[in-house]
Amino acid sequence: MAASAPGAGPAEGAGDSPLSGLPGDGTRGGRGGLDVIRWLGRAGAIIPLGALIFIVIVLLVEAIPAFRYNGLSFFSKSVYTPGGGGYNSVIVHTGGAAHQSGASFGFFSSIIGTLITTLIAVLVGVPLSIGAALAIVERLPKRLAAGVGVFLELLAGIPSVVIGLWGVVTFGPFLARDIVPFVSRNLPDVPVLNYFKGPINGLGQSMLASGLILAIMIIPIVASTARDLIRQVPILPREGAVALGMSDAQCAMRVTLPWIRTGLIGAIVLGIGRALGETIAVAMVSGNNIAGLPSNIYGTMTTIAATLVNNLDSALSDGSHFTVRTLAELALVLVVITLAVNVAARMLVRRTSGAALPIGPGL
Amino acid sequence: MVGSALPTKPSTTPKTILETGSTLLYPLMGAWTQAYQKQFASTSGTSKGQPYATIDTGATGSGTGLADAASGTVDIGASDAYLSSSAKTSTPTLVNIALAISAQQINYNLPGIKNLKLDATVLAGMYNGKITTWNDPAIKALNPGVNLPSMKVVPLHREDSSGDTFLFTSFLNAQAASDWPSSLVNTTITWPKGSTTAETGNGGMVSGCQATKGCVAYIGISYLQKTQAAGLGTAMLKNAAGKFVAPTSATIAAAANAQTAKTPPNETLSLINGPGATSYPIINFEYAIVNTKQSDGIKAEDIRAFLHWTVHTGQDPTTYLDPVDFQPLPASVIKLSDAQIAKIGA
Repeated sequence: MAASAPGAGPAEGAGDSPLSGLPGDGTRGGRGGLDVIRWLGRAGAIIPLGALIFIVIVLLVEAIPAFRYNGLSFFSKSVYTPGGGGYNSVIVHTGGAAHQSGASFGFFSSIIGTLITTLIAVLVGVPLSIGAALAIVERLPKRLAAGVGVFLELLAGIPSVVIGLWGVVTFGPFLARDIVPFVSRNLPDVPVLNYFKGPINGLGQSMLASGLILAIMIIPIVASTARDLIRQVPILPREGAVALGMSDAQCAMRVTLPWIRTGLIGAIVLGIGRALGETIAVAMVSGNNIAGLPSNIYGTMTTIAATLVNNLDSALSDGSHFTVRTLAELALVLVVITLAVNVAARMLVRRTSGAALPIGPGL
Repeated sequence: MVGSALPTKPSTTPKTILETGSTLLYPLMGAWTQAYQKQFASTSGTSKGQPYATIDTGATGSGTGLADAASGTVDIGASDAYLSSSAKTSTPTLVNIALAISAQQINYNLPGIKNLKLDATVLAGMYNGKITTWNDPAIKALNPGVNLPSMKVVPLHREDSSGDTFLFTSFLNAQAASDWPSSLVNTTITWPKGSTTAETGNGGMVSGCQATKGCVAYIGISYLQKTQAAGLGTAMLKNAAGKFVAPTSATIAAAANAQTAKTPPNETLSLINGPGATSYPIINFEYAIVNTKQSDGIKAEDIRAFLHWTVHTGQDPTTYLDPVDFQPLPASVIKLSDAQIAKIGA
């Protein structure tokens, strides 16, 4: 922001059109137009970095008193109590932090809920995406493949609130009415399978619905990236595989997918990033149960992002501002989880190295 | 400077008043501001038809309205609840001014069963997981002769922070404090194990309850027609006198009138579980939260004029209140509101 202001100066001083310094009009370097572009470029490079640092610093400053008061039970309890006296709580001070008397916060269920729904999304979405990408590149006739590809990209462009609405109005009730009762009735009574048995509410709001909605949201990201990667696999190794007598499936498993492994990890990380931070769609289909984890995948749950969006208004009625600080602490946890996934992916990519990442070496 | 006489119209210097807050009050606030701006518009010159005071309204939630009024980013915060104790401590110049009376209905989805009788003890039992089926002895005891099914009780709560949650949990705490402690009274709470399903907004509560047989839900009175269209039952609630009453304009007005005498000058009063044999137990004041120390004297005058208008002209039932099923303020409460409005100055 500050960096772009000086950029405007030279352009005005030169009195030229901003485009006059572009290559092709005979002038080079040092003069108005190019300076603007150079400054814009610098600003463009600094702003994202500055924004990240700014966000983290603001969150930290807000959250430090919350860290002190909430302690480690922030991660082990599942409770949202802005004040022990409810709405009539008074402000007290503990260790320099002003808060309402009897305030108690813990977001175990939100943090674990975020991780589990992301896991469901990856388990369901990634195989589907890779399958779709392989089919588009290697199986479908060219014109059909182009059509399917367009739809895949359109799916990526649907606003998440629309997917959430569809989840509540159509998909969730469908799960609740037609799928879940059937599955629950017919599964054998085996310990592990009991996670897949149980009642579900009428709108299907549950951990399962949240995970599946997230899967739908990451499919276009992972599938379109995987499709572009598979297109780049040279034909020779694949021909070699076929010459050795491999089936299409074996060729895909042993040649094509290992070839694009690195890029695929990048694509999956992009999908995970989307799933971790997705807010409104999950807020609509999760059932927002902050009090604990469900005993099966049909139970209601919540995620960090959904908790933040749903509790901000009540946090604002806390005159001590402490509840807002606590939400800032929770937001920081989400930022750390997302960054950790990115760093882990980088390390994984370094170890496996190979083809360039689809989103550049910056990941 | 504190204005002693209340202005009845805005200053002729064009000003913009910002209002945000309660989604429940928002439709009424919108109707009020439209009528007000039309009534007090310039009648001559180039600005003919332009309102003297423009009022921007926003439905952001009561907590946001309160915080924005406290920080001075808006001029009027609309809230379903009076100021929290901690908000009053941190910004002592804030006042809550009663503007209208709202109520809350308890709805359920039990095919064929209308006018079920419920009380706070039974509702608290449902929400904290002690009562899990509709043929529980505690529900049967309140409804002799009604053939209750063994259907599972599914209590719904609001996932977004809400004045409705505050009213409902206040009611449970007021009538059944041993089952519902005061720590569970707020606009968002950690719901006990009995209620694991949440819906967004009153509209979400209606559709969620419609989709779930055996549900029970608390819904703003302004959704009365929608809950009836959805085929939901409306519970008759036990009031402080031990009588069961349905939410009607008569029972809501009875509850309001029974409590006007004890309304304090700062209008901070829970109307929950009020006295009177015909009083409906879950009613509340809708409030404007305003900072009495404004930075701009002309704006302060405009705020006084507008709020004064809302508690007089704006109380007309057929034009403003009936469309949202709100009730007008009793005359003695209007006097208290006027006294508080007069404190707004610069």
